[in-house]
Amino acid sequence: MNAHASRTSRPHVLIVGGGGTGGALAHDLTLRGIKVTLVERGEVTSGTTGRHHGLLHSGARYAVGDRESAIECIEENTILRRICPGSFEENDGLFVAITDEDMEYLEPLLKGCADCGIPTQTLTSDEALRLEPLLNPELKAAVRIPDATMDAMRMPLRFFATAKHGGAGIHSYMEVEGLLVHDHLVSGAVVLDHVTGKEGEIRADIVVNATGPWAELIAAMAGVDVPIRPSPGVLLALRGRLSNMVINRMHKSGDGDIVVPQRALSIVGTSSWTVDDPDDLGVPEDHVRRMYEEGSKLIPAVKTAEFRAAWSAARPLIGSTDQVDSGRELSRTFKTYDHKETDGVEGFVTITGGKGTTLRGMAELCANVICAKLGIEAECQTRDTVLLPHEAYYAA
Amino acid sequence: METIEETATAATEATETRRFRVFRFKRGDRGPHLDEFDVPVTARTTLFDAMRWIQFNRDPSLALRHSCLHASCGTCGVRANGREVLMCVTAVHDLGREITVEPVANIPVLTDLVVDMTEFYARFHEAHPLVRESGFDLGAEVPEGLATYQRYEDCIECGLCLSACPVVATTDRYVGPMALAWAQRILEEPRDEDVLGVRDWADDPDGAWRCHAAFECTEACPSNVNPAARIMQLRGTLVGPSLTGREMRG
Amino acid sequence: MSDTTRGDGVPGSSERAARGPVLRKGVGPSPTGWFDPRGRAIGSWAFAVNRITGLGLVFYLYLHLGVLSLLLAGESAWNDFLEIATSTVFLGLDVLLLFGILFHGLNGVRVALVGTGVVPNRQMALFWAGTVIGTIVLVYGAVHIIGSG
Repeated sequence: MNAHASRTSRPHVLIVGGGGTGGALAHDLTLRGIKVTLVERGEVTSGTTGRHHGLLHSGARYAVGDRESAIECIEENTILRRICPGSFEENDGLFVAITDEDMEYLEPLLKGCADCGIPTQTLTSDEALRLEPLLNPELKAAVRIPDATMDAMRMPLRFFATAKHGGAGIHSYMEVEGLLVHDHLVSGAVVLDHVTGKEGEIRADIVVNATGPWAELIAAMAGVDVPIRPSPGVLLALRGRLSNMVINRMHKSGDGDIVVPQRALSIVGTSSWTVDDPDDLGVPEDHVRRMYEEGSKLIPAVKTAEFRAAWSAARPLIGSTDQVDSGRELSRTFKTYDHKETDGVEGFVTITGGKGTTLRGMAELCANVICAKLGIEAECQTRDTVLLPHEAYYAA
Repeated sequence: METIEETATAATEATETRRFRVFRFKRGDRGPHLDEFDVPVTARTTLFDAMRWIQFNRDPSLALRHSCLHASCGTCGVRANGREVLMCVTAVHDLGREITVEPVANIPVLTDLVVDMTEFYARFHEAHPLVRESGFDLGAEVPEGLATYQRYEDCIECGLCLSACPVVATTDRYVGPMALAWAQRILEEPRDEDVLGVRDWADDPDGAWRCHAAFECTEACPSNVNPAARIMQLRGTLVGPSLTGREMRG
Repeated sequence: MSDTTRGDGVPGSSERAARGPVLRKGVGPSPTGWFDPRGRAIGSWAFAVNRITGLGLVFYLYLHLGVLSLLLAGESAWNDFLEIATSTVFLGLDVLLLFGILFHGLNGVRVALVGTGVVPNRQMALFWAGTVIGTIVLVYGAVHIIGSG
């Protein structure tokens, strides 16, 4: 195969996309001895990764409807606390039942969590209110689960920091304008450097498309298609830390059913719709109103809290493009596409789907595929390697 | 007949145009210049929205720094009409008819509105614990198994205080408000850090003693760190043992 | 168009690594630092005026010593000086001096209280309290100084 024949002493992987997945992959491959270059058109995590509410999933949200996701979450939750110590507000979370209908979800929730290995503790309304006095006093019951809060930018930044100090080239403000494709072989990318305004080419043995909801656009540069639907949701930040624990509504996934504390703010999320252009999301006013309405069912103080910000973030949902518009039914697992197998195009891999909590797991899966393609035997070491602190990313 | 909802929506959709003068600089340019753009805005448009609009509709080479879009990551700091703000939570409506947007001061510019934060982070003492005791007790009990409720330090490392400080404008040797505020937080809540080391680091002519109480940092801070007050408390802590005879314990 | 530098093909690496220009606050092409409190809050104005009055008072101190040395030059030299010293312009300058002393003194007390961590969160209140006291004393003083001329 041409790509391998022209390889120098170390194989070179070019990662397109500086979100959590790209950063975790850069770190994983670097530990396996592979030369890594990562290019990101803006600041790292400026796509979807930095924008989420900062929930470190216990997986309980998926324990009833999406067991695969739930198990991935609780495993990664445990690993991340180990490799990123001091990076989480480790206060656990609550699933709170407000209505009788919610109470019907209690048994399935407990069973689902038990099946997925997610520890739970059932609390009476009084017990819950002692832990979180601002909860809706009409709550009927609560379940405590090992949620936590992460800083959506700073936690992934630790992966970037470690990769960079391990020798990976991390280049922000470098935008991929096209891929170098010839004869069904991808051999690199054409990039525009926004720092100098100059263009250039970067050659690599494998190019990885880790661009989240932009995956389809990058894949098209190689002449292949990936079934990614950008699915944004609205989030609302309010002044005031209304809870210390993460507060979830005890029901099947719906709008505005989570309140996540972050420093002195409370983040209410989220909603869901699908778009074609991940750069044009909008912030629908009625969705913002719904955040206030649903959020205040969990914590009444949401209704009168001072507005700080309202924004949208696009999830990369895997599914075929002719599925229903709300986007929530699609699977939240992550997938790696080796385009040699799916489309006959060599040297190009797409990793997509997933959520903030599973970045390391996604990277492990993708790195395994890449090593197999390169004919390299190297074990994943990311489960137990403690990461450098986030400020090391900016150290010379 | 319009419902209240429709009127409200119409009000936020009413667009007008504001003129933005944006600082531009690419490496290799002889010097920076300002580019003018007329941008359609509504009552809800933030400075980030406006810059993004320019990036996607007028000039894709405009480099912007952002991540969380809700004043949590601190990456979108700029100066708008000379005042330090975070783009994502600043309404264009509050800025005036003509708006000059420049990068923050006192940190080297990487490109356009983006600064290179390497020198910013280099100013801190190496002790940099991110998580603290919550302090938002709300009269609550802590769940069984947890020692205390935790949260992140208020400081989001945005650099607005460093940009606003008139002393930093005259010397790069002064570590800056955020570095000293962070040190004071360690003295208040040690979390196993080297407290005496931090104290000695702060007790320096270019440390706590370089501040001249202009309080610009506290004005600029978007996250209630109140760095100036922290620096004054730090000074009190540094001077205390000499006055009271009680040594600080490590 | 192509610029495959440094072997790994990343364009413009050396230019990226160089230290970029550092902007300073202040108006105009050259940095004016603390001297330009425009666009800043009250704290900066106090800070700037404190420095200006400080320099002014030092200048006044030398001037005052110079003037006092006229006493050594004899009665007529001192009387000549007193003629100037009672002119309206000079009395006006005396009021300016009084302002300088009041501002620097009162703000100095404020900075001392705030700067040693005694009342760090009351700096604005102290500023306005000082302004009120200072204005009363200044007006009283001005009336008497100019009235005496």
